Amino acid sequence: MAPGGISPGAASPAPLPHETLKMFGSPLTGRRLWIAALIVPPLAFVALFVVYPILSAFAYAFFEWKGLARGEFVWFANFHKVLFQEPYATWTINAFLHNVFVFFALMVLQNGIGFVLAYCLWRELPGARFHRIAVFLPVVLSTIIVGFLFKLFLHPLFGVVNISLRAVGLGGLAMPWLGDDSTALMALIIANAWHMVGFPTLVFLAGMQRIPGEILDAVRMETQSEWVKVSKIVWPLVAPSATVVFTLLFVGAFNWFELPYVMAGLDGSPHGATDVLGLYFYRTAFGNQSGGAQDFGTGSALAVLIFLFIAVVAGFLTMYLRKREIQL
Amino acid sequence: MAQLSLRGIRKRFKALEVLHGIDLEISHGELIVFVGPSGCGKSTLLRLIAGLDPISDGDFLLNGRRMNDVAPSRRGIAMVFQSYALYPHMDVYENMAFGARLMGLTKAEVEARIADAARMLRLEPLMQRKPRELSGGQRQRVAIGRALVRKPELLLLDEPLSNLDAALRSDVRLEIAKLHRDIGGTTIYVTHDQVEAMTLADRIVVMNQGRIEQFGTPRELYETPANTFVATFIGSPRMALLPVTRDGSQLGLAGSGAVDAGMQIAGDERELTLGVRPDGLILRPANAATGLAAKVVYTEYLGDNAYVYARLSEGTLVSIRCSPDTRPAPEEDVRIDLVPGKAHVFNRTSGERLPA
Repeated sequence: MAPGGISPGAASPAPLPHETLKMFGSPLTGRRLWIAALIVPPLAFVALFVVYPILSAFAYAFFEWKGLARGEFVWFANFHKVLFQEPYATWTINAFLHNVFVFFALMVLQNGIGFVLAYCLWRELPGARFHRIAVFLPVVLSTIIVGFLFKLFLHPLFGVVNISLRAVGLGGLAMPWLGDDSTALMALIIANAWHMVGFPTLVFLAGMQRIPGEILDAVRMETQSEWVKVSKIVWPLVAPSATVVFTLLFVGAFNWFELPYVMAGLDGSPHGATDVLGLYFYRTAFGNQSGGAQDFGTGSALAVLIFLFIAVVAGFLTMYLRKREIQL
Repeated sequence: MAQLSLRGIRKRFKALEVLHGIDLEISHGELIVFVGPSGCGKSTLLRLIAGLDPISDGDFLLNGRRMNDVAPSRRGIAMVFQSYALYPHMDVYENMAFGARLMGLTKAEVEARIADAARMLRLEPLMQRKPRELSGGQRQRVAIGRALVRKPELLLLDEPLSNLDAALRSDVRLEIAKLHRDIGGTTIYVTHDQVEAMTLADRIVVMNQGRIEQFGTPRELYETPANTFVATFIGSPRMALLPVTRDGSQLGLAGSGAVDAGMQIAGDERELTLGVRPDGLILRPANAATGLAAKVVYTEYLGDNAYVYARLSEGTLVSIRCSPDTRPAPEEDVRIDLVPGKAHVFNRTSGERLPA
């Protein structure tokens, strides 16, 4: 997951006449030169490494591939294969449903707990200053490190989880968390929630701190119910924060790759129980030891479908969430 | 019915004590104004009454019931905040309905109360608007309406006029006075503006540095201020304080001569403070037989009267209310005399009023 989204906005005012210098016949000002010098390199970088790959994936998806060699133009054959042809169709559905599950589970475990944590931090419960740092600290860790850390924690024999269970006499509950179909995906989700919960917490906390103190005093004059306070006043007033974390979680959940790759491997072991679209795409496009040869065409078709799905749903989601927002 | 008793109320923030034992009895139906300079503790006291901050020491009784540990929403008190604190995501109707619904009233009762308040405050055309679509004066009325629908026994207003422009302020002031008469409850109003306090209050609590300096009707405060703080805080232009030496009924001011106090002064201290308001002074020509010698500094012409500012020899600037025709030239020598019975005499060291 890679939360974060920066939207650059630059506006250049009209140049003053005395700053104008003629260069190759076109009016360029010192200010404009500066702006151009600052914008062009990153723009070129984005074009080369973001726009070009996306566009070429679109193009690749319509060709047949033999290894690295491009074959015939095959119209929508690759898309058809991914969506309707066995065994691809089953794999696609399996991975997609896992992503859907991951999204909803993380909405509760990551954003839900994040909101509760933010509320506790905001109310300045004892030790709030320490906890504010403690909650956010895991976010700065690399996903690779968190993945390996949780793999160690969940190790069937030497993992701290099973050792603890046995130590308190609950050895019966000890199990190979990552090796069992029924628990593997949930274990990954919990690892992700632990890693990233500080992010929604921070965003919600910032939203809460923007609520004027007198509004909270006004609510306290009318009710002593914490639930009414949170559900009717605080929650609607942090709607802008919710928009940010919901949208980013949606995008993150359907692009989920690093953590399952580190913890479950390319096959989404065991038996595809942790297979998600990210792993499935990677496997299909670039191949792996068990899954056979690489297939750029099918992989690209998959990537295009994932991209379109995320773009369309995230667009509607943002539009809907924006409508809930009010100006303070 | 709301009758308040504050007994030895203290408030501490960690080691800092900001209210040092407040005793106050307020009867039903009164409009009480807490007034004082910023930082005097008036808003803190209001928050303690509302229950928004805990009372460190002392008892607060509402209708004989101890309220110290009762939640704000259970005290039968409503409050109008300085920033109005309307819920930004609710329209005017919802802002008013929110608290009323939480009281467990029937739907019909809530509707009826909102309709009443809306009519009284002329809010009917605004019911579907969000707070950000309202002007300052309209928001103010919604905030009052939100308080009224709860039919509080006690209504608290925290500097309700401070965010309004000057023209609107006197209108809203009149409306609040009228509203208080119409609904007939007890109202406490906090302001730092003594004019607001004088025009609105049945009784005024003058506060300074966490203590009550005086509690009385506007007239009592103006005519018999308990000490030099109240004397100079109430009244505009403010009362001048002169360090005088008593000799019989004559009060001498260094370098300016002496005047007759025109009244009996209790005690036998010789060093006193004489307090004089603009309406307690008479301007006389320099060759007059009585009065303190002074030099005119400037004259404020206000149409119905004029205030002449003059400097006494020992340096104090006094203002004298005169007829608008009086136009003494700057630097002109004049004499200033006391209007009999309008002088205030205070103990020089304690600042307490000396009874006449």
